Amino acid sequence: MFRRIVLFVVGFALIGAACAPDTPSGQPATSSTEAPASQSTSSSTTASTSTTVPIPIDDGFPVTIEAENGPVTIGQRPERILSLSPTSTEVLFAIDAGDQVIAVDDQSNYPPEAPFTGLTSWQPNVEAIAEFDPDLVFISFDPGDVIAGLEAVGITVILHSPAPDLATAFAQWEQTGVASGHIAEAVALVGETQKRLIDAVRVVPDEASDLTYYYELDDLYFTATSSSFMGELLSATGLQNVADLAPDPDGFGYPQLSTEFIVDADPALILLADTKCCGQNAETLAERPGWDTLSALSSGGVVELDDDIASRWGPRIVELFESVVAALVAVVSVDA
Amino acid sequence: MSAIAVSQVSVEIAGKPIISEVSMDIEAGSWVGIVGPNGAGKTTLLRAVAGDLGYQGSIKIDGVERHAMDTKTRALALAYVPQRPAYPEGMAVFDYVLLGRTPHMGPLAAERSEDIAAVWDALRALSIAEFAERDVSSLSGGETQRVSLARVLSQGTAVLVLDEATASLDLAAQHEVLELIDEIRLERSITVLSAIHDLTAAAQFCKTVLLLDNGKVVAQGLASSVFTEEILRDVFEPTIRVVEIDGNQVVVSLRSEGSADAK
Amino acid sequence: MNAGRPTSTQTRWWWIAGAFGITSIVVLVAAGVGAVEIAPRDIFASAWSRIPLVGGDSPLNPRDDAIVWQIRMPRIALGLLVGSMLSIAGTAYQGVFRNPLADPYLLGAGAGAGLGATIAIVYLPRASIGFVDLLPIAAFVGAIVGVSLAYLLGYTVRSGRTSVTLILAGVAIAAFLTAVQTFIQQRETESLREVYGWILGSLNTAGWSDVTLVAPYVLVCSGVIFGYRRLLDVLSVGEAEAATLGVEPRKLRLVVIGFATLGTAAVVAVSGLIGFVGIIIPHTVRLLTSTSYRVIVPLSFLLGGAFLVFADIIARTAQAPAEIPIGVVTALIGAPFFAVVLRRSKGIVS
Repeated sequence: MFRRIVLFVVGFALIGAACAPDTPSGQPATSSTEAPASQSTSSSTTASTSTTVPIPIDDGFPVTIEAENGPVTIGQRPERILSLSPTSTEVLFAIDAGDQVIAVDDQSNYPPEAPFTGLTSWQPNVEAIAEFDPDLVFISFDPGDVIAGLEAVGITVILHSPAPDLATAFAQWEQTGVASGHIAEAVALVGETQKRLIDAVRVVPDEASDLTYYYELDDLYFTATSSSFMGELLSATGLQNVADLAPDPDGFGYPQLSTEFIVDADPALILLADTKCCGQNAETLAERPGWDTLSALSSGGVVELDDDIASRWGPRIVELFESVVAALVAVVSVDA
Repeated sequence: MSAIAVSQVSVEIAGKPIISEVSMDIEAGSWVGIVGPNGAGKTTLLRAVAGDLGYQGSIKIDGVERHAMDTKTRALALAYVPQRPAYPEGMAVFDYVLLGRTPHMGPLAAERSEDIAAVWDALRALSIAEFAERDVSSLSGGETQRVSLARVLSQGTAVLVLDEATASLDLAAQHEVLELIDEIRLERSITVLSAIHDLTAAAQFCKTVLLLDNGKVVAQGLASSVFTEEILRDVFEPTIRVVEIDGNQVVVSLRSEGSADAK
Repeated sequence: MNAGRPTSTQTRWWWIAGAFGITSIVVLVAAGVGAVEIAPRDIFASAWSRIPLVGGDSPLNPRDDAIVWQIRMPRIALGLLVGSMLSIAGTAYQGVFRNPLADPYLLGAGAGAGLGATIAIVYLPRASIGFVDLLPIAAFVGAIVGVSLAYLLGYTVRSGRTSVTLILAGVAIAAFLTAVQTFIQQRETESLREVYGWILGSLNTAGWSDVTLVAPYVLVCSGVIFGYRRLLDVLSVGEAEAATLGVEPRKLRLVVIGFATLGTAAVVAVSGLIGFVGIIIPHTVRLLTSTSYRVIVPLSFLLGGAFLVFADIIARTAQAPAEIPIGVVTALIGAPFFAVVLRRSKGIVS
């Protein structure tokens, strides 16, 4: 129950932030959101920090953003945005900034109207990026000196690393709104997402806290613990993650489980985030040695997730969350 | 019929002629020594006979052309000790000698009691039975020569081809090993073809010798007819003297009177 | 004097018996431990109940029964097969190349299998065909193609066709295939973890089907290498001398490498690139017992299997219920162990 309350607190705090429209419009807009940069800050700190963010109104440029990669000043509304992060791509389109996006990387695949290119985000090529002549680049990780290289040729870069928790994700969405001149839409997106998450949590049956789930990243039994982004999101349901029993000395949050342990744990829900990468589904699970004894297979507790949604921290996570809750409700009603 | 008949044999290595038009006949049971200066082609001739070099002309072993023999038939007809044999570290002398029995076994078969007996026989013939369990790479020069000889002996062939069997040995050990070879040759009617750098030793042990220089035969026949000062001075150096001690030819090279220290 | 072989050159029965003993103990321990605690006596009672006619009731509930017999036991069996094959193949490679650094992946089997697996993971539909998993097939084909390319390249070099030429050809092919594999992998970063996981190796099985798939290859290929153990000794005096002993080194090399590669390809196809076994086990056996392949070949086979099952016990239990990739464990425990053996044996020799 504790985690559910945390979600609520975070949720309301952020909604509060979104509804604080009283920044004087003439004032030079400065955003001092430190949350995305410091991933170690707990969700509540992050949330309270974001309440103090003065939200610029009227898309007032120039705007200075405290991004992960340092303060970034954007002189005017960017019209040539390039996204090297599938999550940023989804966020940009969700806040109506799609018209300003001129190119997205080869890992982006949603929404379908995005301008897909062969640009690789794994080892980005500064020259190839510069050739698109973007005025703003979103990137989710810097494998070398890509940010420095882009800034050297006068291109503004915002780094949005994989979010460790929901609050960081929301802060990133809002920052994307500020940077692209779509603050209102970003705030609305965060608010809508929170509302749907809270609505979904409301229908979670009380029995959930006695149940467990196993979240599969691939068919080698790599999983995500509750300290991962998805694990933290799912903990709002009250379900126990079987992977939390695994020692996670490096705190990475993605251990590889022993298959006999999973079978023995007999989780009520099996969440497959490897339907695309590894072609897994309820039928292939049944063929695994020993898995035909699992109750999730007979009670409809296998949830086939979209790998892409599960590996990003974009707006579609709410759909994923709702599908898990729906399966949870179904499993509990079968048992009852 | 001669045990080995070499006729008009030429060998090229990488397009370079090493020996040309060498002919010789080796009588069964005899010991023929190949002599000549370094680089004369002694080893090349032996390798052509023993089988790991191609050649032009004809080499017949016991009447059969060497080219026409498969590897195994050749290994049953002729055994060969190269100039510097490999002694695998850690291998027991017995196991090393047992390698000589390889052509007698099927490809996947294990050794039979007759193979074991042949190894002991060879070890005893060379008086190294007590070394059977020693590491073959840890032996002295004279001992390793005996081990090599035991290996070719266990191979049970009628012909032994030895490349400088005594090259690294001191005088006494060299003499001992050569005596052993000669004893075995007589006892088992084995034909021996060997390269020898020591002309005096060749004169004593080999019935006939073949003198090579620059890949060509300079002279061949009885040692007494080949080892004359006239012939040897042409091939080696002008200071060579051939003297006779107790009926044996002794080849020595004396310092010329004009050399530095003699003044 | 002596009628038989001297004792030091015989394959001593207690070496074989000891290797059998070690293997049995490791297998028993492996059956008794795991991420799930099941009392060993219940496991043995369950095993006993499975013997036809003798019978009895299994004390295990259906789920524990599935854990023991569908997950744990096939994994142990696969560990034995994979470890034995990699170890005996490593021995064979070291023998034919007279090179202590040779391992089963020397001629491009590893790189080829890695490329094949990567192609399968990235481009081929997984499990969508339903009844056939294409990954092992692609890895198997990749391994065979890799070694064949190395052989072809090695044999088109005019100067040599020696074992050194072949090793160099293998190095070139392996580097090339690895580069192609890395290229594909970098382009399709979504599959990165899967490719990486496969390369590190795993004994996670699809149950007994993997075991029955691999077993015939391992038994036949090991059997052939076992048959050639004496000829590997002959090769240890060098190719030229081996030829005067009636052995055709090139033919022998082709046959032995062929079977070693076939077996390696089969085990790599199901378990990924588990490293180190093919080097340290043969050398440990060599340092502790004898340098003769008559001894090394059978002992490597037995102890290779035992070693991998042992490594898997650690992989399964050290961080239970999480697993450590087995390739990491083989290197982590193999390297220090090997260092100790190396030091001790130096002491004995000098």
